[in-house]
Amino acid sequence: MSGGKLITGFAVTATSHTLGEYRARGGYQALERALLGMKPEEVTGEITASGLQGRGGAAFPVGRKWSVIRPDDGETHYLCANADEGEPGTFKDRWVLENAPHLLLEAMLIASYALGVRHSFVYIRGEFDLAYRRLAGAVEEAYGAGLFGKDIFGSGFSCDVFVVRGAGSYVCGEASALITSIEGKKGYPRNRPPRLTVRGLYQKPTVINNVETLANIPWIIAHGAQAYRTFGTTKSPGTRLVSVSGHVTRPGVYEVEHGYPVGRFIHEDCGGVLGGRALKAVIPGGISTKVLTASEIEPHRLGHFGDCEDRRVLPQSAGIPHLEPLVFEGESLQAAGSSLGSGGMIVIAEGTCMVRVLQVMLRFYHHESCGQCTPCREGMGWLHRIVDRIVSGRGRPEDVDRLYEISRANDGTTICGLGDAAGYATVGILDKFRCEFEYFIAHGRSRYDGCLECLGSS
Amino acid sequence: MPRIFINGHPVEAEKGQTVLQAALAHGFFIPYFCWHPALSVSGNCRICAVEVEGEDLDIACNMPVREGMRVLTDSEAVQAWRKRMMQFITLNHPVDCGICDKAGECTLQDYHYEYNGEPSVSREPKVHATKFFRLSARVLIDNERCILCSRCVRFTHEVSRSRALGIQNRADSSLVRASEDGRFEDDPYSDNVIDLCPVGALFSPSLLYRHRVWYLQATPSVCPGCARGCTVRIWHRRPDWALHALDGRQNEAIARVTPRENPAVNGPWICNKGRDLARIFERPRATQAMLKGEPVALGTAVDAARRLLEGARRPVALVSNWGSNEELEAFQRALGGRVRAFVKEDFSPAPGEPVEDDLLIRADKNPNTAAARALFGDAPPAFEDGTDLLLVWGEGLDFSRLPTRVPIICLNAYLQPENGHADVFLPVSVQTERAGHYTNFQGVVSAFEPCFAKRDSVAHAESLFAALASPPGPSP
Ligand SMILES: Cc1cc2nc3c(=O)[nH]c(=O)nc-3n(C[C@H](O)[C@H](O)[C@H](O)COP(=O)(O)O)c2cc1C
Ligand code: SF4
Ligand code: SF4
Ligand code: FES
Repeated sequence: MSGGKLITGFAVTATSHTLGEYRARGGYQALERALLGMKPEEVTGEITASGLQGRGGAAFPVGRKWSVIRPDDGETHYLCANADEGEPGTFKDRWVLENAPHLLLEAMLIASYALGVRHSFVYIRGEFDLAYRRLAGAVEEAYGAGLFGKDIFGSGFSCDVFVVRGAGSYVCGEASALITSIEGKKGYPRNRPPRLTVRGLYQKPTVINNVETLANIPWIIAHGAQAYRTFGTTKSPGTRLVSVSGHVTRPGVYEVEHGYPVGRFIHEDCGGVLGGRALKAVIPGGISTKVLTASEIEPHRLGHFGDCEDRRVLPQSAGIPHLEPLVFEGESLQAAGSSLGSGGMIVIAEGTCMVRVLQVMLRFYHHESCGQCTPCREGMGWLHRIVDRIVSGRGRPEDVDRLYEISRANDGTTICGLGDAAGYATVGILDKFRCEFEYFIAHGRSRYDGCLECLGSS
Repeated sequence: MPRIFINGHPVEAEKGQTVLQAALAHGFFIPYFCWHPALSVSGNCRICAVEVEGEDLDIACNMPVREGMRVLTDSEAVQAWRKRMMQFITLNHPVDCGICDKAGECTLQDYHYEYNGEPSVSREPKVHATKFFRLSARVLIDNERCILCSRCVRFTHEVSRSRALGIQNRADSSLVRASEDGRFEDDPYSDNVIDLCPVGALFSPSLLYRHRVWYLQATPSVCPGCARGCTVRIWHRRPDWALHALDGRQNEAIARVTPRENPAVNGPWICNKGRDLARIFERPRATQAMLKGEPVALGTAVDAARRLLEGARRPVALVSNWGSNEELEAFQRALGGRVRAFVKEDFSPAPGEPVEDDLLIRADKNPNTAAARALFGDAPPAFEDGTDLLLVWGEGLDFSRLPTRVPIICLNAYLQPENGHADVFLPVSVQTERAGHYTNFQGVVSAFEPCFAKRDSVAHAESLFAALASPPGPSP
């Protein structure tokens, strides 16, 4: 099994999400402990000491973000839980919202206390139905039990929570677009500076954290940073929710301790590749993270690029070769040129056409680009149209280079990370599967058409 | 005062400035589309990138100056970035400069030659969008030309505050649209977005396909539409490109009016009334001097007026608050001692016209009330018993409200029924035919210059007053 459980360590039943059962599991004790026994700075100090990193994609240290806020500076501060979960392949926050909504609410209360927040917000993805109903129900329960509102636990601390539903836009998961959307405007990301912790929601200092990030907080406050650090690795403490989908036998949400080998996770915990096929590639953390080939995941078994029979093209931006098995840890994935991203893992079996994979991804980015800044607004459509044309059999030899150029022209030139990420994703696939594109362009059809049965793939 | 270095030159920037502002203030040009000095920073066109030594490139319009920073505005990396942005911006742009009214004064055109200059590298079909789409009766949009800089949107949110424009849809399907409740139709400042648009996406049906801007000349002028006295440019056919074959009236017509930036009065804006000065100045003109409605030579009419004035014991004058400072002073010099003068309001708010707001528009719909009142007081016109001559200068007066059986000398520029009822009628020039100054309600004096020549049969009021005061004799 994939290590210790800090978030998912209880049996999910039809009622396990309720306040009663959450409290029976020890819920809201961390809140009580923080409110009655700790100063706000001590809470932040504990979170900083725990080394907790953001789970929304960028792995930003939570303590560092929180420390910018001075809880007692007399300013209004806001906290927003990012429950927009739009990254394709990612559905782990939904698990928390559906099965442990009180865990999020408790975490938000603790965080609000630490940050001097009177009004907090949950921005929840519009498509979420059960998750929304469970969260809304939990908010009602919590208010009923006096956990929100004025003078919580007689501590003098007051806090309210508002649940805001999104309208189905991916980019509204980007922190500044999320804020703009809460303000009732079109969800356009904002330029930095100013940072959101300086001027965020309604121009006030604002902390935005991912649902899973926050879900770690009650455990850390209840057990202490030291205990938290016994999980995971030195550089990536704790666990991580991973949502697995694609060509995999047992898709779903898993809690994985940092340091656990990715290959073992896929083959053992998730039951291996669907239909017993060979593993071709894995998108490790949502489609915005660079794809990894099977040999990058298990170089100790497959050798570096050893499986690339007719794919033996040296990648243009190859990661540093390493023969250690890839493990769930920021550094390990970074060394392989990718990242843990948002924990949305997509397993791709041998026989899958990567040109079409890229086509699907680019259709998404094209559709979701907010259209605000030039390189992303124009670049996403351009990338998409080129790959569409290749797939329709009208590719041109110069297309691959053009895809690279457009991707690079989005790198670091955009307002938010969407354009960059689409570029990384494109470059990731091109680097490792360029020959498939060249084949498609030369022959007007996929190398995999009619070659392999794609059982169960959609 | 942070000291920064731009391309190696030390520059004293101001605290709180951005690198773009500091650079422009010190003569270093950085290209920009979406940035505008009077609007908030949206930072979305991405053309204004600069390199800060030792850091990644970033946009200058949102980069605060920091003590000691070393900015490069034209490094190789910056040039490469700009070129890529220009490729993106023109990717789906129709490049129809040949039929675009903005050609010749288009930022995109200029930047293309400056920062890209190469044909498109794309082989994909362009994204199509609506053309000639009506945002209001006054403003059309070609969404294919729009580069989505959002200046127009921000203008309606931050300046005119109608909040009438927004952007619909996402990515390269984004479309600038007006809200459906007609607020843009009612926005009295809507036409400013046409000037703000860095490309030819927004255009006025009144200019559409009528002129190429390089055949036009801009004459500095002042809008007489209200007491704000916004400084404007009146655009008209350049004399060296006068049309000979086609309709000759085009040479004397106002092509368009744009703001002349003036921090003391109107900043960079004017209201829509200022755009429509042609509707004021190009009304049918009075060009014929008359005695009791009978055409006579100008000199004959002047003599008759002179004689009336000489014989009058208690003459009263109604002075136009559309007269320039020079004309008002000439009146005062020539006739002030002999004539009891009152200031006449030539215009009052028209039905449906915005009366007053907190941006520019003033309730007094005349340009020079301040100067006229300074000379002639602000008492309303009164006609004592024994008034034996009326001199009416300008328009907007209902003659039936004047004392009966008193002779009238009338000076007017426009063809109006009252003219024929005057004992002496003298046609005078309009603002676009002469130079002068107006004093606005704040006391700011602004100059205007002539756009067109005056006809011989029409007099300048300024010289007329001196002639009226001199003893009867040869005409002026
Ligand atoms: C295009 C885009 C979409 C994003 N979508 C999400 C999202 O759905 N959920 C999320 O938690 N973070 C998302 N992020 C990351 C957020 O901007 C932000 O970094 C995160 O919510 C911060 O929380 P954390 O520090 O706890 O990870 C997105 C970022 C980008 C650039
Ligand atoms: S990168 Fe794309 S999604 Fe992000 S602000 Fe720019 S256009 Fe919008
Ligand atoms: S219409 Fe013009 S001003 Fe408005 S967004 Fe488009 S390019 Fe910018
Ligand atoms: S001028 Fe700076 S991004 Fe547009």
